Amino acid sequence: MTLAPRWRKLLGDLTAAQGRVALMVTALAIGLFAVATIAGAYSILSREISRNYLNTNPASALIDVGAVTPEIMAMIAADPEIANAEPATIAEGQGLDAQGNWQRTLMFVVPDLAKASIGTVFAQDGAFPPPPGAVALEREGLEFLGVARGGAISLRLPGHAPQSLPVAGIVHDPSLAPSWQEQTAYTYLSPATFAQLGGSATLELVKVVVRNATFDQARTEAVVGALAQRLQASGVTIHQIQIPPAGQHPHQTQMNSVLGMFLVFAVLALLLSAMLTATMVSGLLAQQIRQIAIMKAVGGTTRQIATLYFVGVTAIAALATAIAIPLGLAAGNGFAGVIAELLNFDIGSPDIPLWLLANLIAVGLLLPLIFVALPIRRATRFTVREALADQGLTRDVLTMGPVQRLLGRLAGSDRALALALRNVFRRRGRLLLNLTLLGAAGAMFIAALDTQAAWDNQLNKAAALRDYDVEIKLAQPIAFAKIEATLAGVSGIAELRPADAIAAATGRDDGLMIVRTYPDGGHGSLWLRPDSGLPAELEFLSGGVEDGGAIVNQQGWTLAGRPAIGSTIKVAVEGKTTPFTLAGVIRQILTPATIYIPPAAYTGFTGRSGQVAAARLISVSSVPGDIAALANTTETALTAAGIDVEQVLTEAILAAAQGGHVKILIVALIAMAVIMAAVGTIGLASSQGSSVTERIREFGIMRTVGASGPALVRNILAEGLMIALLSLPIALVVGLPLGYGIGVLIGSMAFGLALPLTVSIQAIAIWIAILIVSSISASLVPARRAIRLTIRQTLAHT
Amino acid sequence: MVTASASPFRPAAVVPTAIIDLSGVGKTYRTPAGDFAALTDINLTLPGGQFLAVVGKSGSGKSTLVNLLTGIDSVTTGTVRFGDTQLNGKSEEQLTAWRGRHVGVVFQFFQLLPTLTVIENVMLPMDFCRVGKPAERRPKALALLDQLGIAEQADKLPVDLSGGQQQRAAIARALANDPQLLVADEPTGNLDSRTTAEVMDLFKSLTRNGRTVVMVTHERDLSAYFTRTIELEDGRIVADNRVGAQS
Repeated sequence: MTLAPRWRKLLGDLTAAQGRVALMVTALAIGLFAVATIAGAYSILSREISRNYLNTNPASALIDVGAVTPEIMAMIAADPEIANAEPATIAEGQGLDAQGNWQRTLMFVVPDLAKASIGTVFAQDGAFPPPPGAVALEREGLEFLGVARGGAISLRLPGHAPQSLPVAGIVHDPSLAPSWQEQTAYTYLSPATFAQLGGSATLELVKVVVRNATFDQARTEAVVGALAQRLQASGVTIHQIQIPPAGQHPHQTQMNSVLGMFLVFAVLALLLSAMLTATMVSGLLAQQIRQIAIMKAVGGTTRQIATLYFVGVTAIAALATAIAIPLGLAAGNGFAGVIAELLNFDIGSPDIPLWLLANLIAVGLLLPLIFVALPIRRATRFTVREALADQGLTRDVLTMGPVQRLLGRLAGSDRALALALRNVFRRRGRLLLNLTLLGAAGAMFIAALDTQAAWDNQLNKAAALRDYDVEIKLAQPIAFAKIEATLAGVSGIAELRPADAIAAATGRDDGLMIVRTYPDGGHGSLWLRPDSGLPAELEFLSGGVEDGGAIVNQQGWTLAGRPAIGSTIKVAVEGKTTPFTLAGVIRQILTPATIYIPPAAYTGFTGRSGQVAAARLISVSSVPGDIAALANTTETALTAAGIDVEQVLTEAILAAAQGGHVKILIVALIAMAVIMAAVGTIGLASSQGSSVTERIREFGIMRTVGASGPALVRNILAEGLMIALLSLPIALVVGLPLGYGIGVLIGSMAFGLALPLTVSIQAIAIWIAILIVSSISASLVPARRAIRLTIRQTLAHT
Repeated sequence: MVTASASPFRPAAVVPTAIIDLSGVGKTYRTPAGDFAALTDINLTLPGGQFLAVVGKSGSGKSTLVNLLTGIDSVTTGTVRFGDTQLNGKSEEQLTAWRGRHVGVVFQFFQLLPTLTVIENVMLPMDFCRVGKPAERRPKALALLDQLGIAEQADKLPVDLSGGQQQRAAIARALANDPQLLVADEPTGNLDSRTTAEVMDLFKSLTRNGRTVVMVTHERDLSAYFTRTIELEDGRIVADNRVGAQS
């Protein structure tokens, strides 16, 4: 069967424009690939992170009663709203890593690990449960501590001598944030083994699962609150209740936010690709105006002709879809694997839902058609007479409007330049597409670099505001004078000061101390400090200093529900709740949620006088290596003096825990911006190619009246440059709020505070340079093509 | 080689007494400088078999008249009838469909579609207007090209043909749907004298089969071919000469 002539024409046109067709397929495929990758990964990860977390049957709450008794367990079991309850201890100790440094290590102590049904772990290697005298190590700990499989690990509890225990088994605990991210190893052991390390054999807390409340935070809080009050009424002391976000992995929100942001960018990339396709189709159609007229003259209706072009675009879209979606989904699967590994959970199934596949295909096929509908409609609705007379000029251009006059003045006495500048406005629709394409690419580029600048500023500010180099957390409060005396002989300390802090919660009317933390104690912790420990330099976001008032940092303010300045916030510690007037909110970056209260009130909570559980020091040297060495020397000196150190934090550790990983996102954003810049340049190149082809005859006339080759080249380059520079205001107007929006997302995730609006002059300068270089390179090829033709060839061009 | 004397083409399907009738036709264009009357009070009746030349200076309204005859443009005043069909008030789409079936158009610059072969160019109107069965279109197009003496060029692209050959291909395309009216806008303007003579013989032969051919020309020395010549000046018919009997 032979193809009808009109389809032969379509085939011939596509073949003749195979370079542009290839560009269109590539552009669309890149956009679709990005969307398929991120959407596929999102679909897999959001399902699998939830599945992994819920498979552990996480506790709805952990009730810290100090010492679990059979009576307490019986009371809890009698509550019909409680589906299950198990006793446990979660203790903070240290494990020795391969480099000889003590690292924070959590010990999950469970009476019978084999029968445990709340917060379960999955055995991966070796023996589980570990035999008496041995521990199981969460798999991430292997790399974090540098422990060999089947090896031993040195563990110590504060105040007790370290002991080397065999690592009998490796387990996977998908309910926890990864070791590398939290700078914490996780171990699982029996009460007897825990006692061997010096811990108490009596378990401290009860893990409970509230019936039918897997995702119901309010119901969980209500049930657990009521249970705790009944326990208190029976004489049980409730030290603290941990209620993590219901049914959510610690990093689920962060992961969804980041993937959501990438999805937005991927969709933007696809929209730009579709726009680029529309620009290219528009260019092709501009060259076909006469052919359309001829087809109409011999009986082709508008619908028949439009269908022809729509089918052509559908073929291009189908090819791009066929290439991009399988590759994108495969990449998405790989990307999901990388993220899952980063967040320490396993992908059970790489399947994506059929609806997603169907939607991706539909978007791949329909989006380009939607974008080209307008250019096709416009080109095919020309009457035969208009099309045959088409010179690429609109009546608006033929009349000298203010824009044309301005452009004429800009060119001075150079009429060829004036012509070039006016040519920019010849095809208004195409100009609009080009400006949108380049403007959007520029906006993303500027937004990404603005975000990076805002992030760097924020880190620098954080470092400047954090007026110490090393923080030492002690296992028990100790007289600060003893610490001073112990460290007096340590060289390299410029200043040492107390930095006592105590875990707290925002107070409730029922006096219960409910925190939003996970079993690892992180993600939602709140610290109470005396305001004498406030940094010297404060940046108030609202309010200020007030006698007797409390000052919170922005993380603490968010945790407390963003109360108004002057309102009362209740602080609870160990069952004691005290109200404070909120005096001010300060900016503190890379610092946990903290409430600063007057020293007297603080002492009232802690009962400590002259004793501290933490100290901070300033190093003489600002070299990171020297600071790390000082941290080690300090720890050694304190330990030698019989002072139990729980943790030593340096800025390098903080940066490793929080800083570097967000930077990855910004690098990815910049990579996307570079892709966008490339797409924009392709668009401009295509547009310039069309523009030159349309005006070949005009160039012939110009050369006939004496225009030189270089003059023509300058004419075309000026035109490209003008389009590129016209897109700059769009890029700025869109890029600045876009950058701010990304800063809000990333800043909220990292600091609980939006990154401030930062305008990177460097970003704008780089983008202008890219615009200039890309517009020149995009225009150079068509310009050279134009001057290679002889005058006879140009005048004969149809 | 064109074999005009053999009357190679099928007669038009219907040959009414008056193929086309323009009555009181005027065409005015709106321009930034004000309204411009391209044609004024044109009354013209063309019976079947007539070979009409439209002459006049540049800007006299020749192309506008041709555009009105072919339905490419519409009148501002007056009526245009084609057989029993009144063209006034028809939409662009209706005019396109009508033109495809009833009018063949030949342009000065041939205007063959460059990515189609010669025979595909000829088959294109049949395809658009769904004339004949698909399997019959190629043989018919080939026969037309054969009659025009360029059958051996059928599978070449237009760019590979000489100007004369391209114009013959364009004429074949205009005849593809057996139109009753053939309108040619300076079809010999780019041809040498020998090819011009061949094309004119061809047009002449078409009129013998009852078709009407309207041709815009500047070339006075072609007058011997025409059965009628109208001269336009400032949008009006200033002369209407019937110069010979129809054969």
